[in-house]
Amino acid sequence: MSERDPDEERAENEGMPPPRDAVNATGGGVPPARDDMPPTPGAMPSSGDATLRPEEGTSAEPPPPPPAPRPGFLAERPEVERDVPRRALAAATRRDFLLLAGGVLATAAGAWWLLPDATRARLVGMSGRDHLDSLAARVGLSRARRERTLDRALTFDDDVAEALTSPDRRVRTYARSEVTPLRNNFHGQTPGPEILAGWSLTLSGLASRRVERLPLATLLARFPLHGQVTRLVCVEGWSAVAWWGGLRFADLLAAFPPAPSARWAALRSVVSLDAYGRPEPYYVSIDLKTARHPQTLLATHHDGRPLTLAHGAPLRLVAPMKLGLKNIKALTDIAYSADEPADYWNERGYSKYDGL
Amino acid sequence: MTETPPPTTRARSAEPARVVVKHHPLVRLTHWVNVPVLFGLIASGLAIYWAAPVFLHPRDPVTGSRDYLVDLGAAVAHVLHDRGGDPRSWIYDHVSLGTGMLARALRLHWALAYVFMLNGALYLIGLIAGGGWRALLPRLSDVADARAMLRFYLGVVPMAIRRRPWPHPVIRSKYNALQRAAYFSMSVAGVLVILSGWAMHKPIQFGWLERLFVNYDGARIVHFVCLLVLGSFVVPHVILVIADGWDTFRSMVVGWSARLKEARHE
Repeated sequence: MSERDPDEERAENEGMPPPRDAVNATGGGVPPARDDMPPTPGAMPSSGDATLRPEEGTSAEPPPPPPAPRPGFLAERPEVERDVPRRALAAATRRDFLLLAGGVLATAAGAWWLLPDATRARLVGMSGRDHLDSLAARVGLSRARRERTLDRALTFDDDVAEALTSPDRRVRTYARSEVTPLRNNFHGQTPGPEILAGWSLTLSGLASRRVERLPLATLLARFPLHGQVTRLVCVEGWSAVAWWGGLRFADLLAAFPPAPSARWAALRSVVSLDAYGRPEPYYVSIDLKTARHPQTLLATHHDGRPLTLAHGAPLRLVAPMKLGLKNIKALTDIAYSADEPADYWNERGYSKYDGL
Repeated sequence: MTETPPPTTRARSAEPARVVVKHHPLVRLTHWVNVPVLFGLIASGLAIYWAAPVFLHPRDPVTGSRDYLVDLGAAVAHVLHDRGGDPRSWIYDHVSLGTGMLARALRLHWALAYVFMLNGALYLIGLIAGGGWRALLPRLSDVADARAMLRFYLGVVPMAIRRRPWPHPVIRSKYNALQRAAYFSMSVAGVLVILSGWAMHKPIQFGWLERLFVNYDGARIVHFVCLLVLGSFVVPHVILVIADGWDTFRSMVVGWSARLKEARHE
């Protein structure tokens, strides 16, 4: 790959300085330019250079060696030397260093502004943070604006993902032998078995304008069950390959069509509990395009057995093209709507798109 | 060389200065933008990593830890006698934004990741426009040259102590072989970190990319290794720039060097 000038190699190997005329002609540039070679653009002889150029010297020397081959496409080109008026050089240098200083200041302010409150408090202490914060707010770098900016980064990322999504893409499926242990990562407690008795799925926002209540037996009798082995990916970064069984959300949508204006489904679990065991409904938003995807299941089975309470008995969403936090457990309500409904984790600073 | 009368002081200041053109403006801009962006990506990335470490061992019965970074943090806090916080989260408290702020770290990470990708694209444009990419390509001669450079670096301090001359190996290209290897591998790590990042971020949409890294955790491991490579570049990079002097630092700000060929390592 190395395309050094053969002359230089020789000079280096024999411990000799490069030919004298070469040094003179390019003012020390490398490789030595010969008269039979096109001059390199930067080594163009300038006014000061011409006086140094020994025109008569070249003709008096022995016949020049055969011209070096043109440098290959990948070969490094000689560095370009240029004569710049000192005043212009000083002005350009001043400008560039001022730009650097401005950039450093802007970066420091921007970094301070974007850092989480807890991190800032750890860095400079509570009172120091509040001092700097009021200073930053004075130049318009308020917390509210920071949240808006970061939210915009999130929605920009979601828009990019949605633009990339092809409607007919399929989620990668795995062999049953590739199944990995599935952990229950829900932040709240697992509801007790009492939720199973009298459980039914409530559908609203339907084209019929009725509210349907479907017991599990009805769902299982009315819709065919499908199995699939897919990866569940958590927003935290872990993932698990799991074997699911259940009815297709698309089949439920076909049997109970939503109102024509509906674009979204609000999926809720009213039996969900918080970390202290108190009732705390969990809710996610799912767009109907995702709901109609053939690999979006309302799962009733995991690992070939009915769902356990820890994994969302009696019915949960399995939408493997969305992060795990959208895959709501112990589903009790589905409400279709024209506008995007609330999403539990979106209200806590996460994306509400969560597409994979 | 040629006999020329010594110019007067006045004429000397009017006479142009000769400089070596070094870095394209886009290369300089993106170099400096990379500094805070990489810091932010590492800080937010480790705060994300905290939520679900990929390098795990069976739970330690004493500390309750499964995360190697927790073990490392506890060891560092012990060595430093740092009792300021939870020693188990030392790494996350000092190298990342902190523990328990996944949502915030994710938003910062996405915002900075887009800046990083845009910055990388501008860097490549600058490399092509300025022709600098040719100086970064590894060559066959680099193996021997890298050995010579390593030998030189290892000998600098001992020879200075013994007051023995220790000439710098002859470098006739823009970079020596070690620099070239470092700068080239930075670009490779930059590309890999972006690809593995997308493989984790959209493993369904970019299923082919996920498969390129074998599986989801493969992409996470590559992403983490890229972090180590990019991070471990910084320390020697800064030390060597300081050792090489003001001209080298300035050239990344202004784009030119006052070190002409004969004044340089030859």
